[in-house]
Amino acid sequence: MKKMLILVLMFSMVASMAFSAGQAEAAATTSKAIKIALIIESTIDDKGWGQAMYDGILEAAAKNPGKIEYSVSEKMKPVDAGSAILQYAGQGYQIIIGHGAQFKNVITEMAREYPKISFAFGTSSDIVGPNVFSYMPESEETGYLNGLIAGMLTKTNTIGLVGPVDGGDAARYNRGFVLGVKAVNAKANVMVAHTGSFADFVKASEVAHTQIKSGADILTGSSQQALGALRAVADYRDKDIWWVGQDLAQIAIPEGYKVLSASSYNYAAVINTMVAKLDAGILGGENIPMNFNNNGFVFQYNPALKSKITPAIEAKVTEALNAFKAARGNAAVVNWKDVKYN
Amino acid sequence: MTFILNFLSLGIPFSVALLIASLGEMFNQRAGIFNLGCEGIMAMGAFLGMLIPYSIGRGADVPGIYNYLGLLVATGVGALLGLFFAMVVVTFRAPQGIAGIGLQMFGVGTAGTLFRHFVGGTQSIPGINRAPIPFLADIPVLGPLFFNHNPLVYVAFFLVPIAWYVLFKTPWGLRVRAVGTHPRAADSIGIQVNKVRFQALALGGALAGLAGAYLSLCQAKMFSDEIIAGRGFIAVALVYFGHWNPVKIMGGALLFSLAQALQLAIQGLGIDFPYEFLVMLPYVLVILVLTLSRKAQHMGPTALGKPFNREMRT
Repeated sequence: MKKMLILVLMFSMVASMAFSAGQAEAAATTSKAIKIALIIESTIDDKGWGQAMYDGILEAAAKNPGKIEYSVSEKMKPVDAGSAILQYAGQGYQIIIGHGAQFKNVITEMAREYPKISFAFGTSSDIVGPNVFSYMPESEETGYLNGLIAGMLTKTNTIGLVGPVDGGDAARYNRGFVLGVKAVNAKANVMVAHTGSFADFVKASEVAHTQIKSGADILTGSSQQALGALRAVADYRDKDIWWVGQDLAQIAIPEGYKVLSASSYNYAAVINTMVAKLDAGILGGENIPMNFNNNGFVFQYNPALKSKITPAIEAKVTEALNAFKAARGNAAVVNWKDVKYN
Repeated sequence: MTFILNFLSLGIPFSVALLIASLGEMFNQRAGIFNLGCEGIMAMGAFLGMLIPYSIGRGADVPGIYNYLGLLVATGVGALLGLFFAMVVVTFRAPQGIAGIGLQMFGVGTAGTLFRHFVGGTQSIPGINRAPIPFLADIPVLGPLFFNHNPLVYVAFFLVPIAWYVLFKTPWGLRVRAVGTHPRAADSIGIQVNKVRFQALALGGALAGLAGAYLSLCQAKMFSDEIIAGRGFIAVALVYFGHWNPVKIMGGALLFSLAQALQLAIQGLGIDFPYEFLVMLPYVLVILVLTLSRKAQHMGPTALGKPFNREMRT
């Protein structure tokens, strides 16, 4: 009897984990639409990475009524993604997206197994197969705009940057941010620190507190962990300490009173491109860049804090934004790889 | 000087969750049970801690009483989970390591599931803010270092002498140490071994729940599935590190957290050094000290990890 009870208890413990490990959401289906499956490690409402892609799919679906159907698997670890992909492949999905560079290997492997299905992963510039798209936000552009604002607004000439890891689009954003600061304020010091995690809010908050204690009066950060840093900034409610963000959702949350501006990825551009390619019979083998030029980014000031943005700052930002929109590979950020943090 | 002051004053609050959870784990281990499920209880504590004020205010400011109610609920549920774990490993004598891993999965999974159901996406709360101690907080150097923190910081460090006193100076503490060192001898003099172990696990669970609530209510002021991020396991390691002694455990928690604050501060200096190594620094430090303190292997509760069955004469 006791052994049975132990087994039941142990099973219930493990089962609770299993039940919470992945949640799937599906849109209503029609027969002729393109079926898109999204696999993410976080959730569709994380106010960051996962939500941005989900919003992109929603936007693309809204703009193409009846053309796109979608399904989402949340909280999927790369090791579990393979089984989800198998299910989607069996259900006739035509585009399967593993949203995150961590899905590269499983996507590459499954793409070989299902050559008639189009796969995608990002952020990455790697081309891994004829039926795999990769997408890469050229985030140095969004970083540059926020850097201009930070560089012109800082009073202490100390700016904090809370990064997750020094790789992918986070590395591009960070370096673009440093370029933006330096373009308008050579004296400013950008303190860069990485948490080593995309999701550790607590550590991001620790980094932000450390930087504020060291004199930083404008901070920024990328990936979903940045919310922890923004929350730390919000603790200094009555102080002249501000945040420039990398997700528009940050403006609308309770800490939004500290967010001067935010840029966001518009993944609808990626989805629309993939759907168009699929219509043309191209299943992959290409990298889809995201930038202001192809509407892959959106930039916005916080209307409630617009008074903080002086005409000089606005002019500088508008000038850079227009240049980014006009052409890809702007000279101001093209050498982002050369930026050293120290 | 400012650099040193900054990292010292930040290292102290960073240590609080580890310190509280480690003290709880110390009571578990002193009673002969090691609870690898500490991480899961912390996750439940973190979720419930933020749920109460969030449900009332929906992200807006709420009267402080609701924050403290959150702490209370987290502590209470932590104690219940401790009792649940006790039922599994003490009454049913399940293998402690496996059951602990199960509890970790149960706690993290349940907290995440309930969070999605009751809250939805990532939400923040105003939480509990710093409470500078009047006059003392204004003392140069010492004020910012020791007297300008969150109320839970003071509570955590106050728990250290209390834990020490309870463990070494009270009859109950003696019983805990007895059942963790030689349960059969304790049983022979009339101590109810399983009852004491239940009590110790309830206390350990309560403190783990409180530690989790500190993270969501005082430090991050939000909840996410990954909020504990391995701190529960570090707390278990710190008990070994601190030789099952509250004062030494406090030293270990401070050492780890100061190393964490130091690496963050060094990163900010812009020294040309791979940040990955700096991020690893606190963990490497713990491993190093654990490796060097071999003596600790002989100082632990001798019945640690061994289920007690008074009918068995082995």
